[in-house]
Amino acid sequence: MKKGRFGRFGGQYVNEMLMPALIELEEAFDKFYPTQTFQGKLEGLLRDYGGRPTPLYHAENFSKLIGCKVYLKREDLLCGGSHKLNNALGQALLAKKMGKTRIITETAAGQHGLATVMAGNICGLETEIFIGVKDIKRQASNVNKIKLLGGKVTPVKSGGGVLKDAVSDTLREWTTCSQTTYYLMGSTVGPHPFPEIVATFQSIIGIEIKEQILEKEGKHPNAILACGSGGSNAIGAFRPFISDEEIRLYFVEGGGESLGANNSAAAFQLGKPGILHGALMQVLQDEYGQIKPSKTRAAGLNYPGRGPEISYLCETGRVKACYALDEDVFKAVQIMGRTEGLIPALETAHVIAYVLNHRSEFDKDETIVINYSGRGGKDLKTIMRNCYES
Amino acid sequence: MNLEEKLRVLKEQREGAHMPHVYYGDPTEEFSLKLIECMVENGADLIEFGIPFSDPTADGPTFQEACERALKKEMTPPKCIQGIKRLRRNGVKVPIIVTTYYNIPYVVGIKKFLDEIKKAGAQALIVPNLPIEEAKELLYEGKKNGVHIILQITPITTEKRLKTISDVASGFLYVINVEGVTGARENMTNSTLKLVNRVKKHTDLTILTGFGISKRKHAEAVVSAGADGVIVGSAYAKIYEKNLITPEETLPEITRLVKQIKRGCIEGYKHRLL
Repeated sequence: MKKGRFGRFGGQYVNEMLMPALIELEEAFDKFYPTQTFQGKLEGLLRDYGGRPTPLYHAENFSKLIGCKVYLKREDLLCGGSHKLNNALGQALLAKKMGKTRIITETAAGQHGLATVMAGNICGLETEIFIGVKDIKRQASNVNKIKLLGGKVTPVKSGGGVLKDAVSDTLREWTTCSQTTYYLMGSTVGPHPFPEIVATFQSIIGIEIKEQILEKEGKHPNAILACGSGGSNAIGAFRPFISDEEIRLYFVEGGGESLGANNSAAAFQLGKPGILHGALMQVLQDEYGQIKPSKTRAAGLNYPGRGPEISYLCETGRVKACYALDEDVFKAVQIMGRTEGLIPALETAHVIAYVLNHRSEFDKDETIVINYSGRGGKDLKTIMRNCYES
Repeated sequence: MNLEEKLRVLKEQREGAHMPHVYYGDPTEEFSLKLIECMVENGADLIEFGIPFSDPTADGPTFQEACERALKKEMTPPKCIQGIKRLRRNGVKVPIIVTTYYNIPYVVGIKKFLDEIKKAGAQALIVPNLPIEEAKELLYEGKKNGVHIILQITPITTEKRLKTISDVASGFLYVINVEGVTGARENMTNSTLKLVNRVKKHTDLTILTGFGISKRKHAEAVVSAGADGVIVGSAYAKIYEKNLITPEETLPEITRLVKQIKRGCIEGYKHRLL
């Protein structure tokens, strides 16, 4: 496979102004990441600051409901409340090594923005977070946390004021300052080498799952499931298992209100390959190639594109592309709460909803792992409004 | 007139080329046609004809809004290509250089897209989000179809890349003279002048500079420093966006700026340092 490509997906579709920065980034990653100093520093921070390894929890009550053995990989327990810190810490360390003084990024659910400011503070780097005006409203608690930690919040008004627009504006900002500033990409999207870098840092999830499940069950799981849009928590959980074709992998995207036109974020159901934000990927678009806005109640899944690697894995059939609708997602939040006493993030609740709606896909003697990517504190207002006021 | 011929004639006449950049369909198709015709009558030597895209990441706020407005009015790539045909029917003879983001040609097929714009009467194509690393297919099909693929150079393009790009470029080189996205700016920097001179060491191709040129003195400065012409976009959009209900009323102001920039291109050539 060509470097920076996953099958036909991936590549570096950016303007000439950004190419030197991407080349510099690739060289720096290849140079610093494999060193013992870097690995030691990252491992130490992930353990002592982040709280890794995160537990692999056998959710017995939920298992009974589904009719098979369900484990939750508790990324919600990672400091910050989601898997995002794995990548943010890794890249912030890289930025520091590269001599950059400032980090910029975009965020939707606010989890990546928060993780970036945390990591930036640890490394002594200034942080600026671009966030769509619509997302600022619906993820206010994370925005407040970002501000409290000293991150600069830049509201993005262009387009629909959501993640897609925030990514565009961060890319524009990076174009003006790439020599001093590091773009800390939050998911396995964007031009090469970002998808590879993010996947590498998130792979810790899958590596731990592998060790933990062997210890607990003495065998690999039959299936691993994760939610996503760009795909970082899914790729992170899947990577060490991709070559083992026996293990079924499920990727659950945001179905939105319905799969009808303009009501969904389900790019695998409604999109086709196209070029957005530096990469060829599965993307929601009209017949002429204009990118369509996505729609889902989960801000973190509200992106029209699927990262190059998950696009490839779904195209080849290695990963099953699934979706969950908003209505079922809210039900899933309540069920997880009642059975296990856990409030999942709306993003994470997608994969729970999928499992609840497709119990017959899992045999009673099977063991499955759900990547429980984040906690729902940030969504409490939305959840309460939907579950108890409608 | 073909592109190379036009650029050769301008050099012979010792004039800098002036290429205004317009996003077609903003705010209406009819206005864009009038705007382009007015520019050509008053001192535009080439036209950069933008096909609006939903996510123009190399464009600043002025052109983002232009794209958004055009798309809201249901502008589509086929309508844009029709627009080129209409300009030709209306007697516009200057070279037309199409600009759009790569997903637009990608979804219809590179070959088909090039074929269509060529048939409509365009001579070249600029794809701002396609660096040399990804341009192989487009360069190949462009050569086969006789459509120049215009490549970009920036102040931070290394010598090595400069050489690679110069070696395969045709038509002209689009030299971006500031770090950043499109948009009118107040001051021209000396780095622009250095960059133009740096590029000249690698190629005899025509050099047009763009991004941030909004005044006669800017045009004069870069042409005197060795650029063969200027690309001006946002500065024009900024004039008509003040009156989106009846943008035709701004045409006299646009005419004045077109004439001034062209004057700068001519004056700049008189004081050439190279």
